[in-house]
Parts: sequence; structure tokens; C-alpha cells
Amino acid sequence: MTDSHSSNNHSQRSSHEGSEGSSDSRLVEAHSQLAKNKEEPSEGFSSLPIVIVFLFCGFGFWAGVYLTRNAGGFSANTFDLDAPRLVADSGPKVFEADLAKGEKLFIQQCAACHQANGLGVPGAFPPLAGSPWPLGNDERIIKIVLAGLAGEIEVKGAKYVGNMPNIGAGLNDAQVANIVSYVRSAWGNNAEAVTDVKVKDIRKAIGGRGQYSPKEILDAHPLETK
Amino acid sequence: MKNLNLILAGVFFTLAASFGGLLLSGQVQLGQLNRAPAEEGGPLFPPKEPGLAIQGRQVYLSLGCVTCHTQQVRPAGQGNDIARGWAQRPSVARDYILQSQVLLGNRRLGPDLVNYGARVKSDDEVHAHLRTSMPGSVMPAYGFLYTQSKDGSFRPTEDAVALVAYLKSLKIDYSSPEAKQKQ
Amino acid sequence: MSQAYSSRGSVSRIDASISVPVRLFIFSSLVWLLVASVLGVIVALKLQVPSFMGECPWFTYGRIETLQRNAFIYGWASNALFALNLWIMSSLARFELKSSWLPVLGGAVWNLTLTYGLVQVLLGQLNGFALLEMPKEVAPALVVAFVFAALWPAVAFARRPTGNVFVSQWYIIGATFVFPVITVVAQLMLLWCPTLGVMQALVHSWFYQNLILLWLGGSALSAVYYFIAKESGRTISAYYLATVGFWTYFLFASWTGPATLLGSPIPVWVQSVGVIASLMMLVPIVITAVNFFGTLAPRNGIAQSWNNTTLRFVLVGAVSFTLAALLNVVSSTRSLNALVRFTEFAQAQEHLTVYSFVSMVIFGAAYYILPRLTGAFWPSAKLVYLHFWSCAAGSLLLVVTGLTQGWAAHGRTDFAVSAAPGLLAAVLLLVGHFAFALNALGMLTAENAPSNRRAY
Repeated sequence: MTDSHSSNNHSQRSSHEGSEGSSDSRLVEAHSQLAKNKEEPSEGFSSLPIVIVFLFCGFGFWAGVYLTRNAGGFSANTFDLDAPRLVADSGPKVFEADLAKGEKLFIQQCAACHQANGLGVPGAFPPLAGSPWPLGNDERIIKIVLAGLAGEIEVKGAKYVGNMPNIGAGLNDAQVANIVSYVRSAWGNNAEAVTDVKVKDIRKAIGGRGQYSPKEILDAHPLETK
Repeated sequence: MKNLNLILAGVFFTLAASFGGLLLSGQVQLGQLNRAPAEEGGPLFPPKEPGLAIQGRQVYLSLGCVTCHTQQVRPAGQGNDIARGWAQRPSVARDYILQSQVLLGNRRLGPDLVNYGARVKSDDEVHAHLRTSMPGSVMPAYGFLYTQSKDGSFRPTEDAVALVAYLKSLKIDYSSPEAKQKQ
Repeated sequence: MSQAYSSRGSVSRIDASISVPVRLFIFSSLVWLLVASVLGVIVALKLQVPSFMGECPWFTYGRIETLQRNAFIYGWASNALFALNLWIMSSLARFELKSSWLPVLGGAVWNLTLTYGLVQVLLGQLNGFALLEMPKEVAPALVVAFVFAALWPAVAFARRPTGNVFVSQWYIIGATFVFPVITVVAQLMLLWCPTLGVMQALVHSWFYQNLILLWLGGSALSAVYYFIAKESGRTISAYYLATVGFWTYFLFASWTGPATLLGSPIPVWVQSVGVIASLMMLVPIVITAVNFFGTLAPRNGIAQSWNNTTLRFVLVGAVSFTLAALLNVVSSTRSLNALVRFTEFAQAQEHLTVYSFVSMVIFGAAYYILPRLTGAFWPSAKLVYLHFWSCAAGSLLLVVTGLTQGWAAHGRTDFAVSAAPGLLAAVLLLVGHFAFALNALGMLTAENAPSNRRAY
């Protein structure tokens, strides 16, 4: 540091010789020139500003994503990001079939054949209203919705050659449960709603199988006589 | 960037932006908080502060207790406040609305105090802690809060009585609409 | 140019015109620095021996720590930055101050008010908000005094003869503007008409981050830019980025407050906004780092800087700024913050900013300014040496022990702090500051004894 002291003295001396004021002016002047130069296209294209622009865009994107994920819905009463998850995990979930959702899904997925009134099309598609097939043991209908049904069946005295696809394979457990619950309670049908847990269990049990035949499904779950 | 007014306007804008984004919007959300029952028809929380406790907060402030003690319970995912039994639930904004100065604190040289009143059993226990230094603790004895009478027993000063009332009033042993007590 | 220099030979006319206020500011800052250093030793001692000075309510840990923090920030750093900002701006803008009694008045009121406020703190009139502990009647006087003391750089800027500007001037203007605004807002929302509940914590975090990062940090950054360009004789390497660096620094820093409240009972979206702002600070950090080290590093510049007293301090300050800012980014991430919140980790971070960065830059600047202001030499090179090494070692020790102790504290349930390193560090700082003060006082009084003046 002794030489630093002398270097200090040196700069001090030079400043006192009168260069200080002008050197400050030079400093400002030189940097103003630098600031101006960047606007001249002849200076060429520096890569750094581009990097900064990309950095900015990246940060902006990240900020948006981060905020939507970590804002707790911008609620005044959320103080803990983990809180909703903890609450959800804190007890057994009780599924309540939403019949309104079930009806909507039925219209989208099923009504083309079975009709919105559940009466089907005579000679082509069997009715669901008043049919014993969707009522009683709920495993039968859940299995049919999940895997489909192909073959000759008899419903309310009329014969149908059915070829129902595996509608339920494209829906989640809650959606299947909502549809099935709706079918079991609409048009004068009067059977208990089903839960998503039940759908989940059955889906797991039957795996990715093909359509049921009428004999196979009726052997497993015979129709209940009223 | 050569015009003074432009620079000042720019800096003003940056400050105004953070003021609006953080403080004004925060005020809109938090400024209207009221006491509320945890369940419909239940008692209103947080409870009103006893008058002596309000005096005690001044003693707490005056001695600079906030330098070493926080008053906030962190959520379960952040730190072990609940695990080590300081409280049964994280603190929420509503817990603080009756306090004239909110002393959240940002440094823990000693334990958190927001639920201290629920952890101690008696006034005497708090007095003993204030009057004498606990072994292994960096908290000194606040002997000047007590006077010794001729028979050797210690009497708390008015400040000590108020401070203890304040410390014992620090409780979040109730459920609020935002956070339920852990059973 | 020659007419810009007075007949006194060694001191330029510009320096002579601001000599009295700058001397006052530096002298007051020295006094407060010594006060804060002694208090710092007491604070460290009280952690080591809790019963030390425990008989009297005046000397509780809380009060002494509060006094130390306020004396350091408002007494030492702010006074010194008044001097730096005025000197640097006058020098860059070729400004001669006509009515130097106005800043002198401002400085006098500032210091008297501060003294009054701190005495009130000692007597037990204190609030619970860090750096706003002084009684509420102090604030209006402080703000008025600030305006009188710190307005002059803006006047100098407005009256500069050429239209050209240098980046340091923006930082000085910005920092000077920030302080009165945030102080008035925070005082109103915390002490005069207090907001409800945890809004107070939010307001305070906003005030605190702006005070540290913008008023102290912004002023010190201006000095770093100035002295790096000036003492190395080089132009700032990526100067066209300095504008972006300046604006992003001011824009993002003022949003970082809630990042200091992670896990507190404030709405989680506010916390997230703070986290985002903290991460965005990477932009100005990278730009300033590119500018500082890109200017100094080529052609063996670091080694040359190390041999120059001013640049050595400024270099330590610039490195500390980059480190502290990066540490703030990292510790604002939720997962890491959950581990170090409330521990000594945060204290170490703050120390890295207000001491290793701001104060070291001020020291470096003082070594440059005082000889030009007084026309005298630094009396002792040995004291300069002692000052640098003792302060560098002391602050390094404080930061390292704070970071390691804070890190080690997570998951533990006891509050054991090992206070011995902190005490050693406080003593080292005290020694360094005494060395600095001896040297500086020697210069400030040199002019009164003409025989001490060196002739050229």
C-alpha cells in the first residue's frame, strides 16, 4: 500500500496541475459520445443488446408463468401456497355426483343413439328410461360404459343388435360417474348414484379390454327383476 | 436521458408503479379486514386486546424486544414453527388487525412470540423468565423491571405487569376463517 | 480552463465552492461512524455476555442495536453520501455552488435532528419498524433537512454548461429523489395514520428495500461508475447498456420488498411479485458487473486498481455489490428462503450491502476527494493500510460467520449463536474506522495550520 500511496500522490499532483477539471469534462464528453454511437447503424450490430432483449423476454415469460402458478388466485386470504393441497389431502374426499354435469355429458356423448329423452330409437338403439339394464347393480352399467357392448340383447320385450363403443374410455372417473348417476336417476329411473372411486376401481379391474358380449355381462351381473 | 425532468419523471414512475402495485393493491385487499367468526354465529376473532396489554406493547416496543423476537408463525411447508409446537396453525392477516403496531419482526435470536400466551402457564412463569437469565439463553435478565423488598422477595414494576399482560395476550389459539386450528 | 482554479493554487474553484458543506458532511459522517462502531462493539459484546450493561433500561440489546443501525445508516452513510453526491455532481457538471450556507444548514438540521431522535430512542421512545424507530416528529425535520442538504446535485445537473451527461449523474438524481418520497409515504402509512394490520409490514418492507437499494445503493453505484472511469482513465466498456442498467435497477429494486416477507401472513401473490422482482434484478446486476469488471479487467487493470487506494476500496465495493445482489436473488427463491429466513443469514446479506459495498465505496471516494478538497496529503500511509485491511477482514469475517451460522441454524430448535467471531469483527471494524478517522481529521484540520500544507 506504500506504493499505492505514492500513486495516489501522483494522481493528486496531476490533478492539482489543472488537469482535473478538464479530465472530468473529457470523461463526460467521451461517454456521451459512446452513448450516441450506439444509435448509428454504421457501428455494426453488437450481440449484447440482443441477448439482453431475449433475457428480458425470457424473464417476462417466466414471470407470467410463475405468477399464475404462485399467486394463490390473487386472493387476500391465501398466505400459504401449500394450503389448498394440504386441505385437499387432509381427509377422505367425498364425491358427490353432479347430475347437471352428467346431463350435459349425456347429451354430448350418448344422446345421439339413446336420445335425450332416454327412449332410444325403436329397432336400432335400446331405451334407457325404464330399462333394467342401467338400474340395480351399478357395476353392470359402469362396465358397459367403460368397455362397450356388442351383440343381440333384449330390452323391454324388443330385440336390438347393439354395437355400443367404449364411451367411458375417453372420459375421466368423475365424468363417467356423473353420466351413470344421471342415467340412473333421469326419466323416472330411480337408482343410487355412483362414485368416481367405484368407477376407478372397476376401470382398474377390467383393464383395457374390448367390448362385452351380452352373455358375458349378464353372467357376471344378471338383470335384477323388479 | 439528458433532461432532468425526464429522469425525475422516470424515477417517479418506477416508485409510483411499485407503490400502486404493492401498497395500494395490498391496501384494497387488506384494508377492509374485520373481526370474523370461524364458524357462522361463533364469537368474533381476533379477540379484543385487554387495556393492560395495550400498555404492555409500549413496554415491548420501548425495550426493543422486536429486535430478537418475531411474531409470526410460518406455514407448515416453511420451517418448523408448527412442528416445534409454537402454534397450531400459521398466522393470517386477520390475526393482526387490532394491533396498533404490527411487530412481525425479521430476526430470531429468540423464539417466536405470536402464540406465547398460549404456551406459558402462569404470570409467575413469565415474570421469572424476565427477571432471571435462563441457562444457555442469550436473553439477559431484565432485572430493572423488578424491585426487591426487604424480605428478599421481588415485586414487579408497573412496566413489568403491563409487559406480562401483553405477552400473555399474544395468542392465536382460535380458528379463523382462513386457518383452522390443528386438532 | 485555467480560470476555473482559484489563486489558492491546489484547490479548484469548484471544490472551493463546495468545500464547507462537503467538509461538514464528511466530518459529521466520521463522528457518526465512530459512534456506530463503538455501539457495534457493545452490541457484539452483549451477544457474548448477555448481562453486560444489563442493569439499566437504556442499554437493552434492542435499543443499542437500534441506535447502532440508525447511526450507521443515517449518520455515517447518508452524511457521507451527501458529500459524495455533491462533490461528484459538481465535478461532472462544472458547478460552482453560490449559496453554500443552504446545504450547511441542511446538514446541521439533519445531524441535530438525528441526535435528538437517537437520544429519544435511548430513552425508550422507539417504534418497531427498522430504520423508522425514531419518534414520528423526527421524520418531517429529517425530510426537510434532506432536501436542503441533497438538493444541490440536481441544481448542478440542471445548470451544467454542456448537454452531456455521465451515468453517475442519473444515479445521483434518482437516489436523491427516492429518499424523501419513500420516507414521507412510509411515515404517513406507518406512524401518522397507520394502516391496518399486516399492511404495515408490507409498507415497511417497501420503504426498507428502497432505502437500502436505491438511496444508499444508487448513490454508491454512482460513485463506483465515476471512480472506475476516472481513476482507470478508461471508458466504461459497455456504456450503451448503462441506461438499461439504471432503469431496470430502479424499476425492479423498488418491487423487491415483499421478497423479504416470504412466509409471512401477507397475501401470497404479493410475495410472488417480490420474488419475481428479485429475480429480475439479475438484469441490472449483470449489466453493472459487465460495466465494472469489463472496464477494469482488460490489460491488467485489476492489478493496477489494487495499487490505487481509491480503486482498491471501490473494487471491493463493486465485488461486494455483485455478490450481495446475487445472494439476494438466490435467497429470494422460496425453497432457500424457507431455510434461512429469520436467521443471521439475512443480517450477513444486509451487512454485505450496507458495509462491504456502500461503506467501502465511500471510503474509496473519501481517499480521492479529501486531498482535492483540502489541498493536503493523507497524513499516514500506514493508517490507510491499517484501515483497508482491518475493515476488509472485519467485514469478511462478519459476512462469512453470518452466512454460515444462518445456514447452520435451519432445522434447529435452539438459538445458540457463537458471538466471538462477531465481536472480533466489530473490534476490527472499530480499529479500521479509527485509523480512517485519524487520517481524515488530520486532513480536515490541515488547512488551519498552513505549515502543514504541501507546496507543489
